[in-house]
Amino acid sequence: MTTRERLLDVKGLKTYFFTEAGVVKAVDGIDFHIGRDEAVGLVGESGSGKTVMSLSVMRIVPKPGRIVGGSITFEGEDLLKKSDEEMRRIRGRKIGMTFQDPTSSLDPLFTIGDQLSEVIREHNRAISKSEALEQTTKLLEMVRISEPGLRVKNYPHELSGGMKQRIAIAKALAAGPSLLFADEPTTNLDVTVQAQVLELIKDLREKNRMSLVMITHDMGIVAEMTQLVQVLYAGMVAEVAETHSLFKKPQHPYTEALLQAVPRIDQRRDLRVIPGNIPNLINPPSGCRFHPRCPYAKQICIDKVPPLEETDRGHLSSCHFWRTLDLQGA
Amino acid sequence: MSTNDDSQGVSQSAKPSTQRGASQWAVAWRRFKRNKAGLAGLFIVLFFVFIALTSPFLAPYPPRSFESLYQGEAGEAPSFKHPFGTSKAGLDVYSEVLHGTAGDMYVGVGATALAVAIGLVIGALAGYSRGGMSDILLMVSQIFYTIPLLPIILLAARVFLIIVAQGFGLTLILILLGVFGWATISFIVRGEILRVRELEFVQASRSLGASRNRLIFRHIVPNILTPVIVTSTLMIAGNILTEVVISFLGFGDVNTSTWGITIQEGITYMRTEWWTTLFPGLATLFAVLGFNLLGDGLSDALNPRLRD
Amino acid sequence: MMAGITTYVVRRLLFMIPVFLGVSILTFAIANASGDPISLIRQGLKSVSPEALAALRAYYHIDQPLYVRYLWWLWDLLHLDLGISLSGTPVLERIGPWVLPTLELQIPALLLAVSIGIPLGIYSAQHQYSKRDVTVTTFALFGYSMPTFWLGLMMIIVFSLYLGWLPSAGAAGVTRIWWGGVIQDRIAHLIMPLLVLTYVELATFVRLMRGNMLQVLREDYVLSARASGLKERTVVYKHAMRNAITPIVTIVGLSFGSALAGAPALETTFSWPGLGYLFVNVTFGLDIPMIVGITVVITIMLMIANLITDLVYGLIDPRVRLG
Repeated sequence: MTTRERLLDVKGLKTYFFTEAGVVKAVDGIDFHIGRDEAVGLVGESGSGKTVMSLSVMRIVPKPGRIVGGSITFEGEDLLKKSDEEMRRIRGRKIGMTFQDPTSSLDPLFTIGDQLSEVIREHNRAISKSEALEQTTKLLEMVRISEPGLRVKNYPHELSGGMKQRIAIAKALAAGPSLLFADEPTTNLDVTVQAQVLELIKDLREKNRMSLVMITHDMGIVAEMTQLVQVLYAGMVAEVAETHSLFKKPQHPYTEALLQAVPRIDQRRDLRVIPGNIPNLINPPSGCRFHPRCPYAKQICIDKVPPLEETDRGHLSSCHFWRTLDLQGA
Repeated sequence: MSTNDDSQGVSQSAKPSTQRGASQWAVAWRRFKRNKAGLAGLFIVLFFVFIALTSPFLAPYPPRSFESLYQGEAGEAPSFKHPFGTSKAGLDVYSEVLHGTAGDMYVGVGATALAVAIGLVIGALAGYSRGGMSDILLMVSQIFYTIPLLPIILLAARVFLIIVAQGFGLTLILILLGVFGWATISFIVRGEILRVRELEFVQASRSLGASRNRLIFRHIVPNILTPVIVTSTLMIAGNILTEVVISFLGFGDVNTSTWGITIQEGITYMRTEWWTTLFPGLATLFAVLGFNLLGDGLSDALNPRLRD
Repeated sequence: MMAGITTYVVRRLLFMIPVFLGVSILTFAIANASGDPISLIRQGLKSVSPEALAALRAYYHIDQPLYVRYLWWLWDLLHLDLGISLSGTPVLERIGPWVLPTLELQIPALLLAVSIGIPLGIYSAQHQYSKRDVTVTTFALFGYSMPTFWLGLMMIIVFSLYLGWLPSAGAAGVTRIWWGGVIQDRIAHLIMPLLVLTYVELATFVRLMRGNMLQVLREDYVLSARASGLKERTVVYKHAMRNAITPIVTIVGLSFGSALAGAPALETTFSWPGLGYLFVNVTFGLDIPMIVGITVVITIMLMIANLITDLVYGLIDPRVRLG
């Protein structure tokens, strides 16, 4: 990775959930970087830690979760040292986030005009109600909602999934953040609407010169939206690379499996599934956490945690055998 | 080239790190075990059930025995011989509380069982049938739901207790509580059936030709079981309380031993013989508390709120 | 929208009619199962002159089958006449003076329970598993697990019989309380039953509110509100609380509706001259016109409260479309 000015610099982040069943090590030592005006993908199955990581950066990890280690630096400042009030001013204003299910991320009791204006006015005290409403309407235009003047009076349940997701995006961008975490923005949408939403995000990113963290499990979206990718597995980093390198020549068996699992029209072959289940995060597998499901695993994979090593310029992998394995790309 | 050969070089001592195929119930049970309050409730309930079952052997005196009067020990404060004291009329309060446990458990659990049985049937019929039949059943449920419970039971108890044989009073109250308490269950059952019927995968199943029985057992029953289990546990608590109120007001069968009757009889001398009021009341409190805790514990275990 | 609401109300009223009829028929049937209204008189429990007896027979239509008697009763009801009780006084007239004392007890208790219980529930949910939460939850648990009247009895034993501070019966003393005048007397009589009732009702609201808040605080829109940088106060009180309190509005409405049903056991314990106390007495005495009359009044109140509650709910929750 080139030494661009880093917008967000996460080092060795550890976020654990202290539940009655045990300590869930959702994020167990993750490094993550993103620069200005970059689009980075954060890939992994559910339980990989991708959502928890973004919640950690914004410091809104729900109880019983807690950040227990590592550092988070944003625009040169240590976020872990910030007071609640300071963090609050960063959320929404500097860093925004959209959530996976657009239906549940909007309060059902308030009109969307209310909810958007609320965010605008929170970050801009001087503005009046009517001005906020104007800005809200413009926001809705920006996310391509038709008849925004009417929509502001609608309640969430009156709108379609696609519209709600676009409104959620508008809400996240309302205060003009420089970094957006988009957590699986299209997973709950119809296929036809997915493309529209992705287009929208791409456009907005370019127009507002915003950095984007695309959290997803869909490699297709990664290919379309990002220049850099980070693959997570069981709370740890599996692989980091530029997107096209990752697709051409993955250096981690998990990545290979993810790429193989994408159905392809142009190839005649059986649908490949990754065998096994998502790992238990209270008692994760020893050594390399992927070893129970890895076709190449050997004894060392059970005994020793593989270090994250640079395999090539800007390409990192945490597999013991990245040198010797010849993995297949997409 | 990747192959699908998993066994290559992987030692089988690597433990699979997830529980595969653990049934819903096993998961819920594990969750329940971790809920301290729910466990406490379970123990309390089991304790009371135990007492209810063994009261004939455990109690020093048979039910409604005024022997203490003849032994000149009536109206005495708690002592070694009479741990909960005796009433002016000669009842050993300790024995009465033990027998009362059997009585109240019988009524509480029995009435709930009856209510659930009726509610299940009517709710299922209402949910499955269409048009007129369904509307009528809904109407009937609504009527029984609207009737003010305590007044009607007091009335019915007063009216029917005259006709009923000695000692049958408890069963009468059980029946009354069951007959007037099924409406909530029927609404739950009907609601669940209607909801599940419309779920896409059920319609898909049906279009594939799945038999009606299969649908019932694999989809509807599990969905209904949870709210019914939770509601019935809490209903037992409510029925015990209602029974105690009925007996206290004097509408119970004086030939039976329940906590409410013991309190009622001790009213006149309440000032000097506070033990006739205190102990049955405490028994009620803890029994109801136990069922409430159990109900809440079950609710948490079966309906997880925690985000994964 | 007004047309929609009107249609809704009309539909509901139409639905309520058969329900009401069903309830009244059941009550009438059960009450008369013990024998017709004047059977007690005929059993010699009351002495009455032959002319009076004949008049009563005609009035209650004793010689007619049950369903005819019911129809006569219904006819009278539509004229707002609940009949004449066995004591000779019209039912409505007898009921009248007992209503206010019940409300005097129930309404303040409910208001207190709501205004204390709901904030407590919110507070408890916000500090889940803390010592304070456990204390509040246990406090509430005992509240809704104990027989209300029993708590009343225990308080009487302590405060009236042992300490002699407070009176144990009635709403106002025949003999004034030793430490004050008329107003203090009324308060002295009111305190214990009010406290007991408030505690028990409060317990339910704490439990409900806490449960709802815990659920709501885990919703995505709460997390999303935080992620937008809203003040924690706004997140909790504007978004979380409003969602959590919405189902409770229904409960509060129904509680108001059943206020008239009173708490027969509690009132009896304190000899509080309310409707519950009256009901217990007339049921014991099998004064059928009174029994049916009171039950009907209670039911009507319940149904009206139900309707109003649903309307209010439709106003506060935009997802509910009336009509």
